[in-house]
Amino acid sequence: MAQSRPLSTSRYNSSDSAGRLCQVPNLWFKRNEQRSQPPAVRMATNLKLFLSSKPPPHHNNHHCTTTTTLSRRRRHHLLPIPVSNRTFCSLQSFHSSKNNSNNYSRSRRRSYRVWSKAADVQSKDASDAAEVTVLTGRDRLLKVPTENIRNFSIIAHIDHGKSTLADKLLQVTGTVPSREMKEQFLDNMDLERERGITIKLQAARMRFMYEDRPYCLNLIDTPGHVDFSYEVSRSLAACEGALLVVDASQGVEAQTLANVYLALENNLEVIPVLNKIDLPGAEPNRVVQEIEEVIGLDCSNAIYCSAKEGIGIKEILNAIVQRIPPPLDSAGRPLRALIFDSYYDAYRGVIVYFRVIDGTVKKGDRILFMASGKDYFADEIGVLSPNQLQVDELYAGEVGYISASIRSVADARVGDTITHYSRKAEESLPGYKEATPMVFCGLFPIDADQFPDLRDALEKLQLNDAALKFEPETSSAMGFGFRCGFLGLLHMEIVQERLEREYNLSLITTAPSVVYRVNCTNGETVECSNPSLLPEPGKRRSVEEPIVKIEMLTPKDYIGSLMELTQERRGDFKEMKYITETRASLTYEMPLAEMVGDFFDQLKSRSKGYASMEYSFIGYKESDLIKLDVLINSEGVEPLSTIVHRDKAYSVGRALTQKLKELIPRQMFKVPIQACIGTKVIASESLSAIRKDVLAKCYGGDISRKKKLLKKQAAGKKRMKAIGKVDVPQEAFMAVLKLEKEVL
Amino acid sequence: MLKSTIAPMISTLQSKTKPQNLFPIKIATFSNAISQCPPTVRQNASLNTPTSQTPTYKLPPSSAYVHLPFCRKRCHYCDFPILALGSSSTQTADDDPRISNYIHILIREIEATRTHFDQHPPLETIFFGGGTPSLVPPSLVAKVLDTLRSKFGLCLDAEISMEMDPGTFDAKKLKELMGLGVNRVSLGVQAFQEELLKACGRAHGVEEVHEAIEIVGSCGVENWSMDLISSLPNQTQEMWEESLRLTVEAKPTHVSVYDLQIEKDTKFGSLYTPGEFPLPSNTQSAKFYQMASRKLSEANYNHYEVSSYSKNGFECKHNYTYWINKPFYAFGLGSASYINGTRYSRPKKLKDYTNYVQDLESGLVDFQEDDVDEVEMAMDVVMLSLRTSKGLELKSFREDFGSPVAVELCKVYEPYMKSGHVAFLDHRRREITEDEFSLLVLDDEKLENEIGFIRLSDPDGFLLSNELISLAFGVMDP
Repeated sequence: MAQSRPLSTSRYNSSDSAGRLCQVPNLWFKRNEQRSQPPAVRMATNLKLFLSSKPPPHHNNHHCTTTTTLSRRRRHHLLPIPVSNRTFCSLQSFHSSKNNSNNYSRSRRRSYRVWSKAADVQSKDASDAAEVTVLTGRDRLLKVPTENIRNFSIIAHIDHGKSTLADKLLQVTGTVPSREMKEQFLDNMDLERERGITIKLQAARMRFMYEDRPYCLNLIDTPGHVDFSYEVSRSLAACEGALLVVDASQGVEAQTLANVYLALENNLEVIPVLNKIDLPGAEPNRVVQEIEEVIGLDCSNAIYCSAKEGIGIKEILNAIVQRIPPPLDSAGRPLRALIFDSYYDAYRGVIVYFRVIDGTVKKGDRILFMASGKDYFADEIGVLSPNQLQVDELYAGEVGYISASIRSVADARVGDTITHYSRKAEESLPGYKEATPMVFCGLFPIDADQFPDLRDALEKLQLNDAALKFEPETSSAMGFGFRCGFLGLLHMEIVQERLEREYNLSLITTAPSVVYRVNCTNGETVECSNPSLLPEPGKRRSVEEPIVKIEMLTPKDYIGSLMELTQERRGDFKEMKYITETRASLTYEMPLAEMVGDFFDQLKSRSKGYASMEYSFIGYKESDLIKLDVLINSEGVEPLSTIVHRDKAYSVGRALTQKLKELIPRQMFKVPIQACIGTKVIASESLSAIRKDVLAKCYGGDISRKKKLLKKQAAGKKRMKAIGKVDVPQEAFMAVLKLEKEVL
Repeated sequence: MLKSTIAPMISTLQSKTKPQNLFPIKIATFSNAISQCPPTVRQNASLNTPTSQTPTYKLPPSSAYVHLPFCRKRCHYCDFPILALGSSSTQTADDDPRISNYIHILIREIEATRTHFDQHPPLETIFFGGGTPSLVPPSLVAKVLDTLRSKFGLCLDAEISMEMDPGTFDAKKLKELMGLGVNRVSLGVQAFQEELLKACGRAHGVEEVHEAIEIVGSCGVENWSMDLISSLPNQTQEMWEESLRLTVEAKPTHVSVYDLQIEKDTKFGSLYTPGEFPLPSNTQSAKFYQMASRKLSEANYNHYEVSSYSKNGFECKHNYTYWINKPFYAFGLGSASYINGTRYSRPKKLKDYTNYVQDLESGLVDFQEDDVDEVEMAMDVVMLSLRTSKGLELKSFREDFGSPVAVELCKVYEPYMKSGHVAFLDHRRREITEDEFSLLVLDDEKLENEIGFIRLSDPDGFLLSNELISLAFGVMDP
């Protein structure tokens, strides 16, 4: 992860005095960074807090101009003093999220202004400022009675403004000063911010004064994608309430539905919030009606807000206090804390985020993870606000983190229960599941030399991602690689992208496949995700494939094309409901294998982006599946084999053979390219032979040029894989694998 | 010398056989003492490879290529180092200072060439190539020949070839040249169709072609070659058939058929894409090649090299030195020599060439190289010998480069024997059958002992010689 750190930060890292200080922006920027100097960090953060504790956000620009010269002069004196911390913090925030590659010169140019701010504070009274901020910090850590704790999360569809709302809440409560605010604060990874999605969870403890009493609000962010619905369910289980954020112009989306149902299952108090009411297209009344009809949620006290414009934020905070019930005060019971997230920190081991359900946990306690059976000493406990602040103790109802030099996230999985080693809880908290990968694909380094790097990278990612599974795989065409299992397609894409981006690997990915269950004639049941490992036809009695229930919400205009799409994908129609006059919900049961390709892209393109979907795994079903083999010059090409439904075999076979014909260079003989089921050829193309490849003359015995040409030709052959006596270029494999992704 | 083999895991993959080290013994194998074995004077004429103890490339050259770069104009397919004289000077270039100046430099080059050999066999072949050597006045050719003779000696029955273009010589000139010792004419006819000649930018027409054939006949040149180009733009099967028919009727002792190559920096290169109209398709031009092979064989020509046909005993001895990887001198603009295992190409620009000669005279040029790369050498041998109908002689190849590479070569060609592109012959040049081969291939030792020659089939193997040779390259330089 460290690779993707912004350039400016690493630049400062090199300098001695600043090096330590620059940890601060790192902290803000990347959760998974080491915080080497907690006190300095805290101080810096709190200073910032202090600086911006008086809204509005853009207040002190005028100071800058007036004090510029002063600050420039002071700069030299001040450098060794911790004040410079702030400079770098501010710098970071100034550059905000988008342009991480800002270069040094730009930072320099900016630094005048930034410095002037720092100096401004400094000039008032450095010691005073420090004291106040420390107080503020302490304030946030102060305990409140259990009845003043509110734990909540935000449920929203992608782009409905969840992260913006979370940002605003942090700002308004002074948890994160507006100047430090990056957009989408909780989305830490570059990838998250770029894609506008939350992959890993974040949490934030806020202090809010309501009727002159301090309240502690814990926002537990949830990942916004179905692939991570288990994580969502765990973070919802750690809350008593949830904000249901719905875009006032878009209305309820499939994903929202799924998560609201999850929240209702967990008995959460759901507060409907209509966001983006400032937009011209907003129709809050229609959407309110939709929510009431679809979800059956009373929307009479729905809050209208615009997170972007800061409208309705106070109302939301008030509603959280008023309507969400406090946690049960069960501090006296044996400790039970629910892990809703964990991540791997290269220096401190796994950091576990949890909600204390019963009992209390103290620094230094020996804790036990009930599902994994591993025990550790809690080196450090603290709260997230949203950066980590150490505390000594956490009570029932509170949310926090533990650092206990845990080696791998597998030891402290999401959903596991933390208890005391010496005073064990009788029962673990319900709902723990081990993540089971649903989608598989092969990952191969393009450059075979990168194989060890790929393995290291996967191991590192796995430290942080217990759902990621991988095992080595060898393919005659692609060389050495891994077959990896993922929770879903997004998870797969994200892992691939992180491998390429953060570990600089160039990868070839095979078409995603699912896990088939093969009932063998000898009574055994074999699970198989790799076509080349599918038992012989003679040994198979039947093959079952995973089936998902898929729910699509779409404007009614696209119902037809979505039905067509689903039917093409062997979807089994279950239900159609009009949720409003103009929007309908379609429910299908469909093989997962049909969804792992480009189904989602298709759904989006056929509905001009308006439809949304949600799926859940419902089980295995027997299906007429066959293994489609590709033969080049009568030789089987294992890496191109796929498992497809018999009805689709013909079209897939045709597409594959045609593509291969385009991509394989002509050989010295005619080459048949065939797609077969067993021995039966279902599609066939033929590559005609090269007729002539001869150089006429060695003029005056000058053979050097001719030789060069032949060497080049020989080198070209070397880059190909020999399938029998046919040379197939690597690109052909890649193109076909890509094609498989499209047609399957 | 050999590239280190690819990452070990790759080698475990089921991919092409990648010989790891086919050249285990370094150059030692072919550095037998030359001094012990003085070269036999007439070995080249017999078209046999020399005795196995002496590496061919170490022999002192007994062939010389002389480049005479003058042309009236550049042909549209030509990217050769030539000097265009312009259309004004047709036959009377006798006093063109550009020619005499060049010949002067050329003579200086020959004289300045140092040979490093204790003994010099007299030259057995001289080849005047071009350009259009027939544009050079015989008196100047005589000077060149005199210089060569005095510098290296010249066998009485040496083959002295000259490329001559229709319209650049008359009977008198040819007689004169013959008087100087030129005894083989390579007549650059290229085509028998006016429109094709014109399209190629040739400086002559069909009439001159017939005249030239007439002159060559009337002057009694016993050994002459008709040079043709196939796959010209807009060339039809009928045209090609006609050219071949007229060629056979003219009764040359030798025919060269060059398949047109489109070179980048030529007019054709800018106009045409190989295989696309108006050039014949790949299939069509393969048919032309096959047709030449068939028609000329029917007329009792031996297809002894990819582009060369001859009556019995009329192979071009000079060109044959190339195919058997024998050393040769080269003189003149852009020419390439091969001495002591080193190939050297002279500058292609006149000015650079002049400077080069200057440096040569000042002793600043030295082609002596200490080391000859064995892999490169093996590639040369394979690439050149597979162009001939004789093929690669496996025994000497094995002696020079070791058994493993010889065995791998046989194995890489196994599928192509089955497809009819490659033939394996025993030591008595009997073709080994597929069944016999499949027995041999089980035992490396048998394989290398029983196989005498590897050759490409005519015409299918020859037609794909690039593919086949590059396969061999892949084996030799994994």
